[in-house]
Amino acid sequence: MAVITWDDLTALQKRRQEQDTNWIKVGMSTCGIAAGADRVYRALEEELHKQGCEVQLRKCGCLGMCAAEPLVEVSIAGMPQVIYCRVDEATARDIVRGHVCGRKILQDYIIDMQSEEVS
Amino acid sequence: MNEKTVLIKDTTPGSTTGTKDFFDLFTSALRESRLSDEVRVVRAADIGVYNHGIVLKILPENITYARVQPHDIKRIIGVTLKHGNPIRDLEYRPSSRQLRLVLRNCGRIDPENIDDYISRNGYQALYKALQAGPEAVISELKTSGLRGRGGGGFPTGLKWSMTGKSPGDEKYMICNADEGDPGAYMDRSVLEGDPHAVIEGMLIAGFAIGASQGFFYIRAEYPLAIERIQKAIDDARAYGLVGERIFNSSFSMDLEIRLGAGAFVCGEETALLASIEGKRGTPSPRPPYPSVKGLWGKPTCINNVETLANVPPIILNGGAWFSRIGTESSKGTKVFALTGKIKNSGLIEVPMGTTLRDIVFEIGGGPASGKKFKAVQTGGPSGGVIPEHLLDTGVDYDNLQRLGSIMGSGGMIVMDEDDCMVDIAKFYLKFCVDESCGKCAPCRIGGYQMLHLLEGIAQGKGTLEDLNRLRMIAKAMQKASLCGLGQTAANPVLSTLRYFEDEYREHIVNRRCPSKKCTALLRFVIDRMRCKKCGLCARTCPEKAISGDKDRGYVIDATKCISCGMCFEACKFGAVERN
Repeated sequence: MAVITWDDLTALQKRRQEQDTNWIKVGMSTCGIAAGADRVYRALEEELHKQGCEVQLRKCGCLGMCAAEPLVEVSIAGMPQVIYCRVDEATARDIVRGHVCGRKILQDYIIDMQSEEVS
Repeated sequence: MNEKTVLIKDTTPGSTTGTKDFFDLFTSALRESRLSDEVRVVRAADIGVYNHGIVLKILPENITYARVQPHDIKRIIGVTLKHGNPIRDLEYRPSSRQLRLVLRNCGRIDPENIDDYISRNGYQALYKALQAGPEAVISELKTSGLRGRGGGGFPTGLKWSMTGKSPGDEKYMICNADEGDPGAYMDRSVLEGDPHAVIEGMLIAGFAIGASQGFFYIRAEYPLAIERIQKAIDDARAYGLVGERIFNSSFSMDLEIRLGAGAFVCGEETALLASIEGKRGTPSPRPPYPSVKGLWGKPTCINNVETLANVPPIILNGGAWFSRIGTESSKGTKVFALTGKIKNSGLIEVPMGTTLRDIVFEIGGGPASGKKFKAVQTGGPSGGVIPEHLLDTGVDYDNLQRLGSIMGSGGMIVMDEDDCMVDIAKFYLKFCVDESCGKCAPCRIGGYQMLHLLEGIAQGKGTLEDLNRLRMIAKAMQKASLCGLGQTAANPVLSTLRYFEDEYREHIVNRRCPSKKCTALLRFVIDRMRCKKCGLCARTCPEKAISGDKDRGYVIDATKCISCGMCFEACKFGAVERN
């Protein structure tokens, strides 16, 4: 790609923001990986494939709630965006089957943060 | 009516069935109101509020109710769920909450995907900076009041303008990512979670000071951070955001990574420069400051990771916007690594001026096991402890200094009644003694002698005169050491002495450790009433100081006991007592 321009930057931003739904994010910083996030990631990958879901699986950094890792954030169109905490492989599969396919939020795993974000 | 979601969590300490019980009440009330299909009810694992009874959060309105009673269910359904209106007297308004500025993208974007960063206004600040020119960028930074987040708190705008004004056609920009304080990992998290923000900050800084080469000095113990920064540099280069003629302007800058080999002192800027040059990482006297004579003798600006991550939002939103956050002398937010005996260990970001009490109890959820809070340690081995009665202090550079601690890079370790202050002081001093480079005598010898005195006190061999000796050596180290490591190494000792002198005296006069941490001062005995005669303690004892058998029970021979505490840990019935 040639040198990026301001127009490229804003066009790219607009394109990305329009597609921003139906994804699962797994916190994959050192703290997450230490708590088993890579195993959770693989379990999600497998289960999504098995169920044939059209959902993007992404890696992201640390949200800061290290005591509650591994963290999995889920955004499905028409449902609230939520974060699951202390996810293991079995819960990861439940997230795909229950939340993504069944459109039901799993009980007892949601973590909420009282914070404000600056863009 | 739109679909709604209600999160429920019982935040009463020790409650185990509260959430479930309330959940059942709530769902049956919904059934009666025939709303079961429109309202999703979810039991939360953690709702971000602590010790406030039953807490409810209603989405998408984002209304939080605390201390909810069963008789409130009816009006919550009627007022909020049916009509979307908040109920004022139930609403929870925290005295302070997190403000994520540096961590704005951490955990939100894929750090290995540059497009993700661009979708969150990435690299727009760089474009804006290039349009505005170096003077305008520096002036914006000065307006913002941003101070160095590595610990020193030097105004960033001033540092940039000093380096910019230094004569020389070759200048360098360095990002200090040699994070080494025990228990602190803010920089690692930013590097791993949002590498492009730091790169953008570096490029803007390089443009402002007139540098065409930048270095990331990252400690080798952060392999994932190194990998992600390298990938981010490569991706940015592929987009033409690093390298020649960025955004088709006349500005060119390249970035490279240099690895630190694990010496704590290399976080000190002059030692860091020596290390990048390939020399032994020892500090040198200042002046000349790096802004005049730095890397290979050229003017150099060194900024911490968190400082640089603050730069893009400042350029995008303006310095005046940034200066409205925080206190009079300390602007913006600060990221802290909250660790130790705390319920929610992790990274938090709060506006400057947030009280320690809010950080520890509101955001951190208080001490982990319900034990009594004793003190919080800030600033790592260069900082000090702050006791309970000063918890209402707002955190900023000057307040913490006044209390005998420092802001430091942002480690915050919570201690409860089980932590001994002599032991804590010993731990931090030992760290500095191990990490002292040995170049100057006050640090090399002073630290060793202080540690020797502390070890004596912890073993019950101290005298009251030792306390004065500690203070005297500490003063000499503060005044005469060459760099920050030695100048601040005595801080943990001085601050524990300042707030917990009683505890030191108890060790010296009564040969007792009130927190039962200094094992040399403890006597172990077996309580015959509680002893189940299992013999586990006798098998565990490394000195074979426990004799007896399964009929008669067991006793500890005080003359053989080395007070290691292994029997105490081993006993499942709490029959080994320590006094």
